[in-house]
Amino acid sequence: MAEAIQLRSVTKAYQRAGESLRVLDELELTMAGGTFYALMGPSGSGKTTLLNLVGGLDHADSGTVMVGSVDLTQLDGSELAAWRAGNVGFVFQGFNLLPVLTARENVELPLQLTPLSRRQRRAQAERALQLVGLGDRMDHKPSELSGGQEQRVAIARAIATDPQVILADEPTGDLDRSTAAAVLQLLQRLNRELGKTILMVTHDPQAADYADKVIHLDKGKLGRIDANPGRG
Amino acid sequence: MALVPLRYNLRSLFVRSSATALTVCAIGATVAVLAGMLSLQQGFATLFQERGRGDVAVFLRKGATSEGESGLTREQCDILSKEVPEVARDQKGAPLASAEMFLAMRLRKFDGGETNVAIRGVEPMSFAVQGDDLRIVDGKRFEPGSDELIVGEGLLDRIANCRVGDVLRVNTVTFRIVGTFAGKGGYRSEIWGDLDRLGKALERPVASRVVAVVRPDTDFAALTERYASDLRVQPKAQSEREYLKSQTGDLSDRFTLLGGFLAVIMGVGAIFTGTNSLLGTISARSHEIGILKAVGYRPFAIFVAFLFEAVLLGVLGGLAGCLLVLPFQGAETGTMNQTFSEVTFAFRTTPAVMLDAIAFAAGLGLLGGMVPAWRAARMTPTQALRRA
Repeated sequence: MAEAIQLRSVTKAYQRAGESLRVLDELELTMAGGTFYALMGPSGSGKTTLLNLVGGLDHADSGTVMVGSVDLTQLDGSELAAWRAGNVGFVFQGFNLLPVLTARENVELPLQLTPLSRRQRRAQAERALQLVGLGDRMDHKPSELSGGQEQRVAIARAIATDPQVILADEPTGDLDRSTAAAVLQLLQRLNRELGKTILMVTHDPQAADYADKVIHLDKGKLGRIDANPGRG
Repeated sequence: MALVPLRYNLRSLFVRSSATALTVCAIGATVAVLAGMLSLQQGFATLFQERGRGDVAVFLRKGATSEGESGLTREQCDILSKEVPEVARDQKGAPLASAEMFLAMRLRKFDGGETNVAIRGVEPMSFAVQGDDLRIVDGKRFEPGSDELIVGEGLLDRIANCRVGDVLRVNTVTFRIVGTFAGKGGYRSEIWGDLDRLGKALERPVASRVVAVVRPDTDFAALTERYASDLRVQPKAQSEREYLKSQTGDLSDRFTLLGGFLAVIMGVGAIFTGTNSLLGTISARSHEIGILKAVGYRPFAIFVAFLFEAVLLGVLGGLAGCLLVLPFQGAETGTMNQTFSEVTFAFRTTPAVMLDAIAFAAGLGLLGGMVPAWRAARMTPTQALRRA
């Protein structure tokens, strides 16, 4: 069973031009495990900040961020890194692949942090790449792949260690419509077939249609959560 | 703890080949200076020490530190040659010992100016003491009692009028050069002639030292001690190896010191270059650092990865520095030795010199990489990803 995510009274502020800008303001939010969420809201509403806190990339100023039974606010930088390695996968708008590594090596990156043998790592990376339909592009470097293929490599990397939570920040922002649809279908498959909890930041209502629920943020607070009518 | 795969750093260096090459060149230039000075020091030290024999004794006057300062009368030389029981004898029972006189003389160099050249007056037995270490490569040996000279081959390309057939005036006496000899160490930069004839020409009635083949188990300190109260002669006895070591120590140390000094000065510059280059690299790659962190690599792993890259740059710089000095391997140069005479020695880039130079370069990389690697490790994932 995928792990639930709970945020309690989470506040996060940034210093900008000498002023404190509160991006998340006493946010209360509960997300069920195994659900595909889209996170929407105007620019500056705190979507990416929320994603970073849930992914353990950043620390909340106050409040608690629970993923399963782990309170991320209690972990230091190294502990968060170790937690990320086994519990969460990221998919970014800019794909964020290491350009000097091949697709397979990029997917193997998080697997290097596991106790798997070299052979097992390789096999798992290949399985992940086959799952995203890139079995024939394993030895290509990112510069030799299309945008859609790069994003699929990023998704393969995100699922390589079999984390329960996948966080995607505008994963289709740099893709054309048909490629974006393919990537969204892939995320949907990961949710439906593998039971991954997915939290996807998007500006695009059509992308949000692929999610089970849409969370609306407004000025750092929860606006509302809509169940997607097209999804059950 | 899992470390960032090495291939990431290796390929990154390769991909950023221009920046890598510049940093490697900066470190390489520094290392070349150090390796160059160490090669000179090696050449100089080896020049004397490699031919220093443990079974040859050098007798000087008590208190003298070199043969230039020493003086022994012919009677004293005879006592040392014939009475010291440690001195070996040849098949005919003659002691394998020879009195030698040493003086420096001003001679003209090919490239202009003058320099001191060592003139050594020897007895025929000196050749027996030297054995196979000294051989005639052109012409012949001088005849005992004649005004003939032989010249060490190390002087041929540096000193004018030193070839077979040339004549050399020593004060008022004209000597004829009849041969060229090859020898190990400093002898190959000397001119040799008959002890008595050169003594007369130079108006020097005393010898500088006695050299003798001695039994292998000779205790030189005990030998010196045994004659300490002898009223006839109080020699200072050393093995030739010890003697030559004492002669080269100062200058050898100076080469090392000068090399070290230049390397430190240039090294500081290279460290700043390396730091600057790596800071630029890290700034350009902050996004990649963010990816590694997001994936789960710990700050220490990031630190090690970038420090490894810095050390690798240093090692590459070290190799480049060694490559820069290797073409000079064997090239000869000259300097004044402790007895103020010209000696010729070769540039010797030994494996030990190269290892020292590469270790020094790796150290430069390590120092230059500390701050950038620390900075990379301390970036938060969001900071790093935002900088893209």
